[in-house]
Amino acid sequence: MSSKKDKAQKSLTKEEELLLQDFSRNVSTKSSALFYGNALIVSAIPIWLFWRIHQMDLYQSGILFAVGTLVSTYLVAFAYKNVKFVLKHKIAQKREDAVTREMTKKFSDDKKMTRKERDERILWKKNEVADYEATTFSIFYNNAFYLVLLILCSFYVLKNFSPMFNYLMSVGLAAGLLALFSTSNK
Amino acid sequence: MEFAGKMISLVVLLVVPFVVLGDSCLSPEVKAETYTTTEAIVSTETVFIVQFTLTCKNKVRDMNLYADINGRTLPVTKTDKPDLYQVSISDDHKKLSSGKYEVRLYDEEGYSMLRKAQRSGESVDSVKPVTSITFNHPGVSKGPFVQSEFVAVVIAVLVWYFAYSTRSQLQSSN
Repeated sequence: MSSKKDKAQKSLTKEEELLLQDFSRNVSTKSSALFYGNALIVSAIPIWLFWRIHQMDLYQSGILFAVGTLVSTYLVAFAYKNVKFVLKHKIAQKREDAVTREMTKKFSDDKKMTRKERDERILWKKNEVADYEATTFSIFYNNAFYLVLLILCSFYVLKNFSPMFNYLMSVGLAAGLLALFSTSNK
Repeated sequence: MEFAGKMISLVVLLVVPFVVLGDSCLSPEVKAETYTTTEAIVSTETVFIVQFTLTCKNKVRDMNLYADINGRTLPVTKTDKPDLYQVSISDDHKKLSSGKYEVRLYDEEGYSMLRKAQRSGESVDSVKPVTSITFNHPGVSKGPFVQSEFVAVVIAVLVWYFAYSTRSQLQSSN
């Protein structure tokens, strides 16, 4: 990936370079904070499930819950990033025409703006729209998938095991499978 | 003198048992509390517990009582409180179905007559009980038809399916 990027940077124009940077797998600090915050919330939900429904003691199993939540947070955030990266390209393609149309309409009165600047603005807007949509959809999709996996594991697959083992395995399995599925491109 | 002594002991032997046993309960008053199993999720059998106070006009206390519930005869337990008795039966949920049940209470005398009637195959209805208690068993509930975790799974899968189809739509190249 990085060698490809280096090679591309040499022959690409400045705008394309900017675009490439925007579409890279690295996420901004703000986006990262959003991902980790959401991942933490969704990873903490199983604590309630195992505390109230599976009757685990909150203080006695505190360390277990903390470890499970942290590991799960990392894996869920990893899945958010992957799904966002895959989706951002596709969303950018889908929304391209609409964004261009809207921005062109907006700048039609502004005669002073050069064509280059306008194109840059459109590109920037397109990136912003795709980034926002991909981020929010990635969070929604992964949360839904995580909860399905968690409920299935804890209530059906591992229901006959002790709550402690059930918690570790169902949180581990749900987060692990989520991270695994997020790496697929299809 | 010796004859008189013999006569007295004979009278005592003949009369005293009747004085003791002859105390049958006159116009009995019964106050009962009953418990019946209402749900089958955590209980393996249906249990009926009948606790009652039995007071007699002629102040007979600590009687040996026997109960006949649903054709089953069993002794009634005396509790440490005066006039308070308890009797309980348990059986499969199916065998003790919902409906009205009657607890027929017999004293020693009635119980022996009941046994006699049972042995000779006569109808036990002819044996009059001291008193009887009727109670209603509303039946056992087997819990909701669908379990709550199943509902949770269905909702979660539906939301995920919506998310998945939206994702497929976004990723489809056109």
